[in-house]
Amino acid sequence: MIDMTTLLTIVLMAGVTYLTRVGGYVVLRNRVLSTRATAVMEAAPGCVLISIIAPAFVSRNPADLAALAITLAAATRLSMLPTVLIGVASAGLLRHLIG
Amino acid sequence: MSISQAVEAAGNGSESEFRRGVMSCAPVLLGTIPYALVLGAQATQKGLSTVELSLMTGLNFAGGSEFAAIQLWTSPPHILLIVAITFLVNSRHLLMGAALAPFLRELPRRKVFPALFFMCDESWALGLADAKQRAAAGIGPAFSPRYYMGAALAMYLTWVAFTTLGALLGPMLGDVGTYGFDMAFPAVFLVLMRGMWKGFAAARPWLVSLAVAALVYLFVPGAWYVAAGAVSGLVAAWLLAGDA
Repeated sequence: MIDMTTLLTIVLMAGVTYLTRVGGYVVLRNRVLSTRATAVMEAAPGCVLISIIAPAFVSRNPADLAALAITLAAATRLSMLPTVLIGVASAGLLRHLIG
Repeated sequence: MSISQAVEAAGNGSESEFRRGVMSCAPVLLGTIPYALVLGAQATQKGLSTVELSLMTGLNFAGGSEFAAIQLWTSPPHILLIVAITFLVNSRHLLMGAALAPFLRELPRRKVFPALFFMCDESWALGLADAKQRAAAGIGPAFSPRYYMGAALAMYLTWVAFTTLGALLGPMLGDVGTYGFDMAFPAVFLVLMRGMWKGFAAARPWLVSLAVAALVYLFVPGAWYVAAGAVSGLVAAWLLAGDA
């Protein structure tokens, strides 16, 4: 059931992934950051989040783009759960109608 | 690393903080389950056994890299290629850990190292957004480890359970994109970003990240767009901080 090459690959994947998880913490812990470095750190969360969802902004499916616009509008006004429900419902509905 | 150690890392008592973390993660789980099922189903089509797939999602616990690995999977697998792609896809964790580090200063390493094993996009974003809100409201300490572990463990158990279920169900599943569940991720992330909003000037690096990540996604195959977008935004933040 478990192939040794597969197991080795999985263990190495897990190893490098864990290194990425502790790396930023270990290297930057207990350091006093400059103004620029602080600006970078403050921008970092948003930069990573928007990069992860960037493909949704350049979808070739008009239904997806419309649903994203609706979701974006909801996100500026509503809390988490209603925004998610509106996002999922609008994507499902628009894909059914347009896509 | 076992679950019990992780629960211990979350600390004893204050069960309500743990539950608050689980509850705040619930909307995200809605979007995760279909993806987990698809990953499991794809993995079996690439020749992985259910046990192998469960090991991968349980030990690695980073969905983006697992999707990339399954896409690239051959029999036998190209070890170096898959490990390198895994590192690239997950390199964003370095930035995420660095952003979280100031909030972890008061915690001992024996708690931080197990807790960081469970740091994924969702648990990180929820934990950090919560810490920033608490800091703004004057609540100390800002970072709530039990809240974070509640969100992280809900995510972990859901991910491992439903990727395994996907592998068991195999190719019987259709295309989950039809139902719109994938829109849960942009929805969650956009709400979190609104919570971090400090005016348009401070958000300019985000626009740089969006533009670069979108262009790289369109024109460069693979998962480079996440790293490219994130790094471009950070460079923009660095440069823009100079004229403030």
